[in-house]
Amino acid sequence: MNIPKMNPLTWTSIVIALLLIALSIYAIEDLPAFGDENSAANKKIKLFSLDADGLVESLDAGVLPVEIKTRIEDLGFIEGPTCPGCQNENYPTLDEGNYEIKKIEKGAYEGGRIYTEEGWDVLIREGEIFYDEFQQYYFIDEMGEKLNVYRYNWPVRVVERTEEETFIINAVTSGLADYRGYDTMGEETVILTGAIGVILLIRRRGRL
Amino acid sequence: MIEWIVQHILEKYNYWLAMLIIIISLSAIVVKENLLKKLIGLSIFQTAFFLWVVSLGDVGRNIFTTFGLKTGTPPILWKPAEEMGYIYVNPLPHVLMLTGIVVSAATTAVALAIVIRIYQKYGTIEESEIIDKEIELEREGGEVRNAAN
Amino acid sequence: MTPEKKEYKRDVIIEVTTDLTFPLILLFGLYIMIGTGGTGGGFQGGTILAAAYILYITVYGTEKAREKMPESTNALFKSLGLYLYNGAGWICILFSLAAAQWLNMPAFWPITDFVGVSGSRSFLVGYMVSVGIGLTVMASFVSQYFDLAWKEDEEMGGR
Repeated sequence: MNIPKMNPLTWTSIVIALLLIALSIYAIEDLPAFGDENSAANKKIKLFSLDADGLVESLDAGVLPVEIKTRIEDLGFIEGPTCPGCQNENYPTLDEGNYEIKKIEKGAYEGGRIYTEEGWDVLIREGEIFYDEFQQYYFIDEMGEKLNVYRYNWPVRVVERTEEETFIINAVTSGLADYRGYDTMGEETVILTGAIGVILLIRRRGRL
Repeated sequence: MIEWIVQHILEKYNYWLAMLIIIISLSAIVVKENLLKKLIGLSIFQTAFFLWVVSLGDVGRNIFTTFGLKTGTPPILWKPAEEMGYIYVNPLPHVLMLTGIVVSAATTAVALAIVIRIYQKYGTIEESEIIDKEIELEREGGEVRNAAN
Repeated sequence: MTPEKKEYKRDVIIEVTTDLTFPLILLFGLYIMIGTGGTGGGFQGGTILAAAYILYITVYGTEKAREKMPESTNALFKSLGLYLYNGAGWICILFSLAAAQWLNMPAFWPITDFVGVSGSRSFLVGYMVSVGIGLTVMASFVSQYFDLAWKEDEEMGGR
């Protein structure tokens, strides 16, 4: 049997392609399908879970119980430095009058997203100078006899609160130009340097 | 058995298609000898990657999970659509990949300008001929030649 | 080493079509650029505006298209777009309003007294930001295409 004569470069590229196919099969088996609630773009992060001994009544009344508050602060969501000599963390605190608890039913439809579980939303006021309103931070869920505590992040704000906060109904523009405005500012400078680079490479005898 | 095939292979068809295009374009960058064809492979690579990331945010029911093809609409929040019961696609991957698209366009423009200068210096674009001319120049110890000066 | 000069025939259909559709493409790009009430945004509208000029260059040649977009106008558009966006952003940084958010801009400029909160936010994002991005993107893409398609000494016959 004759092995056909080929460039050694094609042999290595075929081997690299086969390795990439094997790696992709290994990685794809564990990832969720798109549209799932657990996919990377739609996710809530679970922090911890507690025993529910009479905490549900205080949550219904609108007061955050002390055990949840101490455990959240133990994880590092505090305002001062976590250890002597570290830098300052700047998370908002859960003091009295600074937060609000809202109850959500199952199947509630808000802002284009369906809540599939019922629970309580913890909203915190961040202490900004000009725009003081409650933002979504934690989500508390009851499963059996335990309470699970989740945490939101800014992707949820782009998906849910775009209409309320920015009055722009285009969610992509509000995410680019309002929540991430400084990134787009640097991006425009990159475009300008691309045009200047082409000018420097090609024009030679003062055609400018 | 059929459940395993449907769950792992047929539902995630966007992963398979994007990885196929990435592998083809990556091999084109390495194997081809013409410089312009390598640039085309680079551009296709970047486009396939953005397509994959944007497809991660799709929301709705598939034809493989339950019967019915109700997929998400583009993420423009419009009151009459919410009352009719439409679900919006996640706008987050769109936001993050838009700067990448513009960066890839600027990179391609600068790379084309470099290819023009290489052609003016050596006279060809094929990679093997450029290497041969470089070896000749080193052997003779000559100076730099310009094709159109 | 230069190739032979070819004589290109001028085609009536192509030239009339580009003459008719060139302003329509510009109008469509402007509509997309200011569209925060629907689909659209800065980057998208800027590339459509650049596509109109690239069509004109492809059909008519670089010498004749230079009259439509001379060098001074190109540099004006490039820097004007950057001034609009970066000026609004750097004022926010210098006065240290909201380290990572853009939402406090209307409180600084006294527009909210006239238009209201919703009007001032859509004014800032829709007009200052999007128009700034669109002009810079259009001017830089058009100048890149001019540089890459320009020939030094040889000209196509008749153009």
